[in-house]
Amino acid sequence: MTKVAKVHEDGPKRTLKQMIEPYIYLLPFAFGIIVFTLYPIVNVVLMSFKNNYDFMSRSFSGWGLENYIYVLNDSYFHQALANTFKYVFIIIPISMCLSILLANLLNQKIKGSAIFQTAFFLPMVTSTTAVGLTWRFMFNNNSGIINAMLGLFGIEPINWLQIAGNNFYALCIYGIWAILPFTIILLLSGLQNIDPLYYTAAKVDGASSTKIFFKITIPLLAPTIFLVMCINTISTFKVFNDLFPLFSGPGVANNLFTAVYYIYYQFRVTRPPRYGRAAAAAVILFLIIFVMTMIQKWVEKKTKY
Amino acid sequence: MKVKIENLVKRFSDNTAVDNFSCEIESGELIALLGPSGCGKSTMLNMLSGILMPTEGKIYFDDDDVTYLAPEKRGVGLVFQNYALYPHMTVLENICFPLEIQKVPKEERIARAKKMAELVHVETMLDRRPGQLSGGQQQRVAIARALVKTPRLLLLDEPLSNLDARLRIEMREEIRRIQQETGVTTIFVTHDQEEAMSISDHIVLMKKAVLQQYAAPQELYDEPMNSFVADFLGNPPINKTFGVMNRGKIVLDGGCEVAYPKAVDLDDGHRVILSMRAEAIVVEGPSEAMAEGVIEQTYVMGKEVLAFVKLGDFSVRAYIPAELQLTKGQTVKLSLKNKGVFVFDEETGERLK
Ligand SMILES: Nc1ncnc2c1ncn2[C@@H]1O[C@H](COP(=O)(O)OP(=O)(O)OP(=O)(O)O)[C@@H](O)[C@H]1O
Ligand SMILES: [Mg+2]
Repeated sequence: MTKVAKVHEDGPKRTLKQMIEPYIYLLPFAFGIIVFTLYPIVNVVLMSFKNNYDFMSRSFSGWGLENYIYVLNDSYFHQALANTFKYVFIIIPISMCLSILLANLLNQKIKGSAIFQTAFFLPMVTSTTAVGLTWRFMFNNNSGIINAMLGLFGIEPINWLQIAGNNFYALCIYGIWAILPFTIILLLSGLQNIDPLYYTAAKVDGASSTKIFFKITIPLLAPTIFLVMCINTISTFKVFNDLFPLFSGPGVANNLFTAVYYIYYQFRVTRPPRYGRAAAAAVILFLIIFVMTMIQKWVEKKTKY
Repeated sequence: MKVKIENLVKRFSDNTAVDNFSCEIESGELIALLGPSGCGKSTMLNMLSGILMPTEGKIYFDDDDVTYLAPEKRGVGLVFQNYALYPHMTVLENICFPLEIQKVPKEERIARAKKMAELVHVETMLDRRPGQLSGGQQQRVAIARALVKTPRLLLLDEPLSNLDARLRIEMREEIRRIQQETGVTTIFVTHDQEEAMSISDHIVLMKKAVLQQYAAPQELYDEPMNSFVADFLGNPPINKTFGVMNRGKIVLDGGCEVAYPKAVDLDDGHRVILSMRAEAIVVEGPSEAMAEGVIEQTYVMGKEVLAFVKLGDFSVRAYIPAELQLTKGQTVKLSLKNKGVFVFDEETGERLK
């Protein structure tokens, strides 16, 4: 045993050149990462601990937790977190269930599935802002198609955009629509990786399609489901863009603050800008996402086969 | 359960995978479905299990017409080539699954699954997942899963092809044992003639969608109905030579005359295939010589010597006793035994003598 290990140790010595070479190849990429990813992150963390930091003059009044104390006590931030969590916990399960169903339908070899695939994946290739504007028309109280359709079922028109309480649901509907295609694509590729032999085997044993779906398809798809859920959770936590085409901002009477919008608000909207508070909020959001991801990873490991 | 197949045909859009196939399988037998790759073995099996619907023909289980019956109503157990064990279930859950579908109460199904696990010797690994099993163990679990619902017919598609050579021999005997202990009528697909010969009661030999011969292994070996069957069985492969009849003798291409008594009454000018098993060729034996050949090469293999003997254009394998001390280039007299020598029509491949 020891002998074997020794042979490895005594293996051909690497020359200095050989040792350095890989790092030279890494250099361009590492440079990009350091300048464009690592540096800004470190900077944000530092900024969050600087009191009264001014971005332009780079001056600040001292180190401390002032920003965090302010942010954690700010009712706008509370609202932002509440909205964001609510949004994530509504969007993720609904979009997941819808996507699993739709991906399954698309995975069947039915006529016209190509048309449906295109229809479902269209949101992915269109500019969300442009389409978001279209949604604004669709949500319109008087002339929007959504209210017209609801009218067919005898439902009173809902003022999606102009009544504070409804803004959130409009945002959720739009958010689900926007996240579906990406989710479906990943799930579909997961489904296509399942050996059809498992279905045949179950069918020969007399399993119904519901049984096959819940006992075979879902468990075998679970790793993909977890992966997609992880990615989607992170991206929905960062909900921000969608506010602009739909509401030109955080909704009626600022009722739709989200975590990222809060960061933007401290950075760009308030006068004078509060860079430190924006950075503190960003760090808090990062920690929340980090913890959520860890929880998901942990659950995934627990259920892995 | 008896299986009767009548004029079964399966056509895919551009080709016929099974053509006009008829045979009857006795209850409790172990049948090997043998043939080269692409000859329609899996297609045949899938029609028996109900996964594929035949284009024409009928299948009967005992007296029931099951031709168009759904798979789950046929009571067949199926073992796939790569086992298709559900990777997310433990061994026990895998074996239980068919019973769970049949809504067998939990305690009963666990008891039955455990009994099956004992039968196939995997009772110590019930909590493992398929990924943690060796190929042979997965194979056993797959058989247990197929057997747990006490099927009337057990179908195995190339059950041994994923195993290494030694395990293959071990597992084929296991399959034989399990089949005999349960008494279930079993059909297994293979393209390995040795596998088929060694464990089956009868062999169905197929070639290009057509049934060639259905017989017991020894009969298939001793009395092949055509030259394909003769070629397919046996190790080393049968010596195949071509020639033409001339005054009661077979003149092999290249000019070697073979006076094979059984062939004397064939018409002059008839082109034939003379196939001889190596063990049916006697070199310098006591009986009357039927042909002369030149030793090309010899390989000493213990008590026997394998020799390549030149007969006309053909080089045939024969075993010669070591004490004869024959060497390369020597001319020898050959005679042929009655058993293991066949004459086929060259055009049709049909057996003549
Ligand atoms: N779904 C299908 N569509 C079209 N042709 C098919 C289909 N399934 C099988 N075939 C064809 O039918 C023939 C028989 O196929 P089959 O799978 O039964 O062969 P096999 O004897 O099992 O071969 P192997 O030993 O390689 O598994 C082949 O020529 C194959 O190409
Ligand atoms: Mg096959």
